[in-house]
Amino acid sequence: MTMIRLLAHPVLVFAYILALLPAVVHAIGQTVSLATEIVTFILTAMGFNLLLGYTGLVSFGHGAYFGLPAYVAALMQVRLGAGIVPAMLSGALAAVVLGTVIGYLVLRRRGVYFALLTLAFSQMFFAIVFRWTAVTGGENGLGGLQRPPVRIGDLTIPLSNQLVYYAIVAALTVLAVAFLWRLVESPFGRVLQAIRENELRARYLGYDTGQYKLIAFILSALLTGVAGVLYAFLIYFVYPQLVHVTMSGEIVAMAVVGGMRAFFGPALGATFFVLLRQILSGYTEHWLVVFGALFVFVVLFSPEGFAGVISRILPARPRPPIRRPLWEPTSSPDRTDPDPLVTPGEPVLVAKGLVKRFGALAAVDNVDLTVVRGRLHAIIGPNGAGKTTLFNLLTGLFPPDAGSIFLNGKEITGLPPERITRLGVSRSFQIVSIFQELTVFENVRIATQARSRHRLSVLARADDLLDVNAECARIIHLVGLAGKEDKVASSLPHADQRLLEIGIALATRPTVLLLDEPLAGLPPEERQRIAELIKKLSREVTIVLIDHDIDHVMALSDVITVMHQGRVIAEGTPDEIQRNKEVQQAYLGEIRVDGRTPPPRVEREPWVVVEGIHAFYGKAHVLHGVSLTLSRGEVACLLGRNGAGKTTTLRSIMGIVPPRSGRVVFGGREITGWPPEDIARLGIGLVPEGRRIFPNLTVEENLRIAWRNGRGRWDLEKIYRHFPKLAEIRHRRGEFLSGGERQMLAIARALMGNPSLLLLDEPFEGLAPMVVSDIVRIIQEIRGDVTMLLVEQNATLALGLADYAYIIGTGVIQYAGLPGELLARHDLLARLLGVTMSTGRGQ
Amino acid sequence: MPELSLSLLIQFIANGFVVGMYYTLLALGLSIIFGLIGVINLAHGALYALGAYAAYVFSRHLGFFPALVLSPLIVAVLAMAIEVTMLRRLYLKDPLLSLLLTFGLAMVVEQLLRMIFGAAGLPFDIPQRLQGFVRFGMLPYSRYRLFLLIVGILVIALLWWFLERTPYGRIIRAGTRDPEMVRILGIRLAPVFTAVFGIGAAMAGLAGVISAPLAGVEPAMGTAVGTAAFVVVVIGGMGSFWGPVIAGLLVGEIVSLFVLLYPPAADASMFLLMALVLLLRPRGLLGERWEKFE
Repeated sequence: MTMIRLLAHPVLVFAYILALLPAVVHAIGQTVSLATEIVTFILTAMGFNLLLGYTGLVSFGHGAYFGLPAYVAALMQVRLGAGIVPAMLSGALAAVVLGTVIGYLVLRRRGVYFALLTLAFSQMFFAIVFRWTAVTGGENGLGGLQRPPVRIGDLTIPLSNQLVYYAIVAALTVLAVAFLWRLVESPFGRVLQAIRENELRARYLGYDTGQYKLIAFILSALLTGVAGVLYAFLIYFVYPQLVHVTMSGEIVAMAVVGGMRAFFGPALGATFFVLLRQILSGYTEHWLVVFGALFVFVVLFSPEGFAGVISRILPARPRPPIRRPLWEPTSSPDRTDPDPLVTPGEPVLVAKGLVKRFGALAAVDNVDLTVVRGRLHAIIGPNGAGKTTLFNLLTGLFPPDAGSIFLNGKEITGLPPERITRLGVSRSFQIVSIFQELTVFENVRIATQARSRHRLSVLARADDLLDVNAECARIIHLVGLAGKEDKVASSLPHADQRLLEIGIALATRPTVLLLDEPLAGLPPEERQRIAELIKKLSREVTIVLIDHDIDHVMALSDVITVMHQGRVIAEGTPDEIQRNKEVQQAYLGEIRVDGRTPPPRVEREPWVVVEGIHAFYGKAHVLHGVSLTLSRGEVACLLGRNGAGKTTTLRSIMGIVPPRSGRVVFGGREITGWPPEDIARLGIGLVPEGRRIFPNLTVEENLRIAWRNGRGRWDLEKIYRHFPKLAEIRHRRGEFLSGGERQMLAIARALMGNPSLLLLDEPFEGLAPMVVSDIVRIIQEIRGDVTMLLVEQNATLALGLADYAYIIGTGVIQYAGLPGELLARHDLLARLLGVTMSTGRGQ
Repeated sequence: MPELSLSLLIQFIANGFVVGMYYTLLALGLSIIFGLIGVINLAHGALYALGAYAAYVFSRHLGFFPALVLSPLIVAVLAMAIEVTMLRRLYLKDPLLSLLLTFGLAMVVEQLLRMIFGAAGLPFDIPQRLQGFVRFGMLPYSRYRLFLLIVGILVIALLWWFLERTPYGRIIRAGTRDPEMVRILGIRLAPVFTAVFGIGAAMAGLAGVISAPLAGVEPAMGTAVGTAAFVVVVIGGMGSFWGPVIAGLLVGEIVSLFVLLYPPAADASMFLLMALVLLLRPRGLLGERWEKFE
């Protein structure tokens, strides 16, 4: 750094301002002690913000770390006659002890409980300080603190001199701020920010986040405690209000009003607070109302606080470019990583007898899996097969109910995610889980850093870890994001975010990489890009893949495991799987000899029109212009593989996922973008995926809540006549129902709304054959009166029921026509819905 | 230690329930607000104080019993106005912001009360008709405290009945688990949120009214009781109805016990209880395991 740059370093600028502060304060007619007060609160607020702004933890009890160390220092001097320096140091020590003990207790809980616990502890300390009059002086506090001169060698420092004391306080604060600046830039500081953004992801990169949060808590308590001690010796007095929740609140307010996301924000807030108090209290004793109102205003309209406002007014400073090492791609960027423990061809990840239940449902039911090093292993299966649950078990998100998992022969069952990652299993998520507000480079660096021995360092400069940076650059280049390092992750298009997701998972140097639907929500060209990347990576690391894009899965994998309803039903090479009858059946459904084919409808007058809708989940473009129509009174079915967009189509019609373009017209009325409650009131009902019955309501309450007056005249009595099983269990709470019972209830509930259009999302899933025929019977009864759009996995069953059939694939309608025709062409069905490749190979 | 006769013991236990009653009323309000809306209402203590001050004003002009009805209503109306104009904007944003908002509002309300009514406590006598003692055979008991117990029990019962036996209560209960599904069934949730915020506020206001003759009326009354309410919610466990009720009464008894045996530790005792409960049952006594809490 050049000399000019050095002299203009923000921390030094801060120091200059502090040097000038006494003069400024004097100019407005105040004493130096006001300046000292300002500086102590700057230290307080900035120490607090390490937790709030950087780690994302809200502490409503920081008054305890401000006031109690002050009390300790005061007690040391007043009751025990200690010198001022030992007294101050004891205060600082007390802050560390307090931070450690309370932090440990409080951080064991998350979210709501964490915030409430900090509040409660603070009040507890207040109660103790207030009541323990003998020791603390009770509500009158403890006075008589002194600042005797301190001798260092030949030098005598007259601490009682206000200006001298100011200089000491200011110097300590500048030191603390310099430390904080360094900390924020350090590997440790980067991890704190990652925790704030996405704690689960940070754990999945191998970070023991509990450790980091505790250290941040202790550091925060220490800084605030030092400030409290300095303040006590400024006013020569300690009193209970310093520990009170009001004090905690003022600290929070300072940080928020000043701007919790800016480094110096809290300093601004603290300065403003103290000045305002001083000036206004001359006019009114109710200056806190003004500050409180300002606080409310900031929260409502400008959550970035003053600092945010300022940064919008000033011209934007360009972010300094990250110093990157001179790394050039070598002629062989693919690096083989010989793992001395396992040779190619040997099992690297083995699972035996895995079971995981959620309530009465076995999501994973006695699954064995052997992943062999060097072979690309895919796991496929229809909806609800248990694939993602299996991944969650393998990566330690929760422990299995039974069974064991081995990595390179070592058992890893029940270990937490951060440990499993460090041992060599890494994953990407179905829904992109990256650090949205960090740049691409920082995202990857956080991941790479997890293996560095500097990962807990508070003083190193994260940017300076050359080996980490070099590895980052290599990975960014490998996944194809070269040139985009400085882009903020949230600004990337969806495909690039997926590449980044893979890059992050790769950066932890895994032995096995689990990719959960890496192609989901992408258009064909992008899928190709990612599929090629996966192929390239499979030479470097063993990959296990879940995806629904059968074409790519067949082309990429060496081994395929097929799951259905929690069990493994087949395993083999792509060719073997394509020829496997049982697998075809699982995907297409069983041929049902019903004998009841409805009369073909010749004329179709569109009553419900869906035209060219595009729908997104965040950035994932799921529907690419879906169009379909329904005639009044008909039953239409919408088939397709998982991830094709069936459920999204229904949700778009229902208004839960408003289309970004296109139209939905119902009985002549355009309902695109209407909120779901208004759409429901028009007479559209939904039997949603996952049933979604209310677990805390009884069967009867679930039904009652859904009742709307309507043509079908469905009411409780009629429902009970048609669903006698539900009548039997009418007083049972939803959470105690079996899967089949819930499904029945979900359908009955939708009927209670007396809809004229009924959207059904996989209504037959998990139902026993007898119940299936009950439901079929009901559908036959109400068809004609109620128009239905049926999304089903079981294609043959649906085709047997429907008047018209649609097939959707990769977000567009691929087939529309009469069910009879489709049933007659089994090869077409297999191609569109089954495990046969679209290109016709393996037919 | 005073002599323990049966009469004294019963009085003591009943007094514990009386103290516990305000905690329970507040905790229930907090719990349903958080359960449905997902907001930790740090202004709850301030609403309690508002109720007491409103009662002070009303009872001077209209008498105690009209004040008993009007004060919670006023507090509810104010709270609902706040929900519609301010809180609603923050539902879709960072949950931290709604937390900070209620916190800021608490600060403003307390300071406003201080400004309008002064920092000193205001006199609030037990109303004429409720003074004196009632005799249960040989047992005398404070008439006002009995009244307070009855009102409290009635309100809790009323709330229970409302939540468990009415269609609106059904909607609220369903909404705490799956608000989106409630909308899919054609029910608009925004008015329900406002109503629930109002109900919670009314309960806090009512607690303020009935506690005023016993605990006094002063600007800082909200903070202490507000924190106690949170402690009760944590001990009772979130997500249940009876959790805060049992916890409130329990905390009331424990605090009273300490007041009797070792007054200096009375304030801190509830925190000790909380620490103990959390060590043994991390989710509170009857708390449910829901994602939104963790």
